[in-house]
Amino acid sequence: MDAERAAREAAALDDEAELARYTRFVARPDGRQQACSQLVLDGIHCAACAGIIEQAVRQVPGVEQVSVQAASRRAQVWWDPAATRASTVVQAIEHAGYRAFPDSAIDQREQDRRESRRGLWRLFVAGFCMMQVMMYATPTYVSTPQDIGLDVLRMLQWASWLLSLPVVLFAATPFYAGAWRAIRQRRIGMDVPVALGIIVTFVASSGATFATLSGGQASVWGREVYFDSLTMFVAFLLAGRALEARARRQATQALDGVLHRLPQSVERLTTGGSERISPVRLRVGDEVRIAAGQAFPADGRLLDGPTEVDEALLTGEARPVPRQAGDAVLAGSFNLSSAVRMRVERLGEQTQYQRIVWLMQQAMAERPSWVRLADRIAGPFLWAVLLLAVGAGAVWWFIEPTRAVWVAVAVLIVTCPCALSLAAPSAMVAAAGALARRGVLVQRFDALEALARADAVVFDKTGTLTDDRLRLVGIDAPAGRQAAMLARAASLAAHSRHPLSLALHAACPQPAPAAWRDIREVPGSGIEARDEAGRLWRLGAQRWAEQGGPTPAEPGSSAPEARVWLACEGQRQAGFHIDETLRPDAIHAVSELQALGLDVSLLSGDVTSRVEDMARQLGLAPGHWQAHARPQDKLDAVARAQAGGRTVVVVGDGINDAPVLSRADVSFAMGHGAALAQSRADFIVLGSRPGDVVAAWHLARRTMRIVRQNLAWAAVYNAASVPLALVGWLPPWLAGLGMALSSLLVVGNAVRLARAADAPDPPLPSSSSISAAQVAPG
Amino acid sequence: MEIVYLLVPLSVVLALLIIGIFAWALKSGQFEDLEREGQRIFEDRASGPIDPDQD
Repeated sequence: MDAERAAREAAALDDEAELARYTRFVARPDGRQQACSQLVLDGIHCAACAGIIEQAVRQVPGVEQVSVQAASRRAQVWWDPAATRASTVVQAIEHAGYRAFPDSAIDQREQDRRESRRGLWRLFVAGFCMMQVMMYATPTYVSTPQDIGLDVLRMLQWASWLLSLPVVLFAATPFYAGAWRAIRQRRIGMDVPVALGIIVTFVASSGATFATLSGGQASVWGREVYFDSLTMFVAFLLAGRALEARARRQATQALDGVLHRLPQSVERLTTGGSERISPVRLRVGDEVRIAAGQAFPADGRLLDGPTEVDEALLTGEARPVPRQAGDAVLAGSFNLSSAVRMRVERLGEQTQYQRIVWLMQQAMAERPSWVRLADRIAGPFLWAVLLLAVGAGAVWWFIEPTRAVWVAVAVLIVTCPCALSLAAPSAMVAAAGALARRGVLVQRFDALEALARADAVVFDKTGTLTDDRLRLVGIDAPAGRQAAMLARAASLAAHSRHPLSLALHAACPQPAPAAWRDIREVPGSGIEARDEAGRLWRLGAQRWAEQGGPTPAEPGSSAPEARVWLACEGQRQAGFHIDETLRPDAIHAVSELQALGLDVSLLSGDVTSRVEDMARQLGLAPGHWQAHARPQDKLDAVARAQAGGRTVVVVGDGINDAPVLSRADVSFAMGHGAALAQSRADFIVLGSRPGDVVAAWHLARRTMRIVRQNLAWAAVYNAASVPLALVGWLPPWLAGLGMALSSLLVVGNAVRLARAADAPDPPLPSSSSISAAQVAPG
Repeated sequence: MEIVYLLVPLSVVLALLIIGIFAWALKSGQFEDLEREGQRIFEDRASGPIDPDQD
C-alpha cells in the first residue's frame, strides 16, 4: 500500500460521517468524551491472536480499553477523542500484522468472501496433495522390501516430495504467518509449535529422501520419509479451521442480518423535487420518501398513509403492523404495502435500531472468562511443551540419535493446544448464535454459565408474563342488556385495528351484522358511526363518547386496565373493562420451569387481588408470589434468595426492573425497542416470550455440558499422548492425526448446539413463532 | 513393472493439472454460493451466465 493511499484511507476513517458509522461517542461523568469503535478484523486464526491485537492496540496512547473477540473477528476499542484518532488505532492493528476495517456491511461481506475463498483453496490443495501422497506411501506400507525395487521406491519418494511442496510452501502459510506474528510480538500462539512441526518434519523427510537418493546410508534424518503424515496433518488442521470458520459464520449470520438493515441510500424530498443521498447525511426534520419494500432509515413520523410495517426485528411482532399518517415508525423496520413520506425525528445512534445493533455488537465482542483463561494458560503451556520437546530430543540423542528428531517433532505436534483453546469459545459462540436465531440476544457470555446453575426464577408481572394484547373482563351495563351492548360495540370495533377494539372484537368474534354508515375513526379518541336509524354511536374514551370533546392524553393501551365507553347520541350505554392478558405460553413456561425443579415466584407491584388471580392461573403456591412489591422489596427478595445460596434468575421488562435485574445472578429483559436497548440485562428476549427463558435455560445447560466435555477431552488427550510421545511410542503421523481429530471433535461437538436449537425442543410451544432475525424480508 | 516408471510421473502431472483446474473454478467464483445454485431453478428470470462478482 503506497503512502498516499494509506493517508487517504486514514482520512476517510476519521471523516465525521464515516466515523459515526462505526463509532459511538459517550460523555463520561467527568465531562470528557469517550469514543467506542467497532472494528472487523482480518487474519485472526486463533484465540491467541486476540491477545496480540489487544496488546498492540493498548500501546496506542489515548486508548482506554480494548476487547477483541476472536470467534466473531470483532474488536471494540474505547479511546479518547482528545488524545488519538480512529485511524491511529487501525494502523496499530495493521502494524501488528492484521487488518482492521470499520464494522460496516460492504467491507465485511467482501472480506468474508475473500477469506472463505482463500481458505477453501488452501484446504483443497492440502487435501488433494494429501490423497496423492498417501497413494505413493501405500506401497511402502503394504509391501515387503523384496516386492519393491529400490528405483521404484526412490521414484515414489521423489513424487511425494514434489507434491508435498505445494502443501508446505502454500497451503501451510497461515501457520507460518501466525507463528511469525506471535514471535515478533514475543508471544506464543498455538501456530508456533504447528509451524515448527511442519518445518521440522519437512526438512527431516527431505533430508532422508536426498540422503537415500545420493546412496548414503542412514543419516541423522533417518531413512523414513513422513510426507504422508505431514500433508495429512496440514490438511486436517486446515479442515478444522474451515469447520471453525463455518461455525463462526453460521453463528454470526443471524446477527449480521440484523446489523445490515438500513438502506444504502434514501430519497430526500426537497422543495420542488427530491435527491438521493446517503442515510448518514440525513438531518432531523428532513422529509424522506420510502418506497414499498424499503427499510425506514431513521425513527420518525409518517406524513401520509396508511401502510403496513414489519417491525419484527425491533419488537419481535411477526405480523405486519398497520400505520397511519402521524404514527411513529422505527429505523430498520420495513415499509410493506405502499410508498409513504416520513419526517425524520431521530437519527443514527438515537434510533432504537442503532441501540439494538450496539447491544448485539457488544454481545459479539464480549469475551467470556473461559476464553481469557485459555489465553492465560497458552503461554506457559507452550513454553513447557517446547522445553519438553527439546529435552526429549536431547535425551533421545544419547539413547538413539536417529530417533531424537522424531521424538521432538512428535511432542511438538501432539501438544498443540488447538482443542484446548477451541473448547469454550466454540461452544459459546454456537450457543449465542442458536439463541439469536430464536430472538434471544446474549449480552454477557458468562451468563450462560450462571444460567446453567440457576435454581430460582423470579418473574415480574406486567409486561413480562402479560402482554399488550388486551382482554375484556367486565361490562358496565344494565343486566340483560350486556350481551346486546357487547355485540353492538364489537360490530363497531370490527372497523378499527386499535388494540382496545381488537379486544372487544375478540370477546365477541361474530357480532350481528349492523349496517353502520359514515364510519370514522378519530385517532386517540375512538370510532364513531351512524346506525340504520341515523343515530350517532360512539365507542371510545369516556369524555369523547359522551360529549364529543377531544380527549387529552388518553391513557391508551399500555395502561394495565382501560375502559371503553359506548354512547348513543351522547347517552352512555355501556362501559367495558379491558385488562391485560397472560402471554400465550406463560403458563406453560412457568409449569415447565417448576417441573425442571426451579423455584418459580412472582413479584409484582400490582394490587393483591390481581396478582393472586394471576398466581392461581400460573399454578403458583401461596408464598411464591408477592403483591404491592416496591423495587426495594423486589431487591430484598432477590437478596434473601441469594443469601440462601440460590442462583437467581430475574425476568423483567427492560426499564422498570433495572435495579432488580442488575442484582440478579442472571437477568432476562423482555419488552420492546427502547426499553430493551437501555437495559443491562444478560439476555434480551426480543420476542417477549416467557418460553424463550426455558429454551435459554436448556441451551445453557447443554452449552456447559459441551464445554466440560471439550475441556475434558482436550485434557485427556494431552495427558495420554505426551507420555507416549516422550518415550517414542507415538510416531509423528499418529500425533498429527490425533491432534487434528481432537480439534475437529471439539468444534463438531460445539456445532451440535447450533444445530440442536434449530429443531424445536418438544416442550416449547413458543418455538413456532418466527425468530426476529429470520423474518427480515429481502 | 516398467509401466510404473510412466504412471508415477504421469500421476504427478495429473495431480498438478487437477489443482490448476480447481484454481480456475474457484477464481471464477463457482464455489461462492453453493446454496444459491440449487435454488436458481426457482428464480423467475431466465438468465444467461451471472457474473459472480456482482452481488
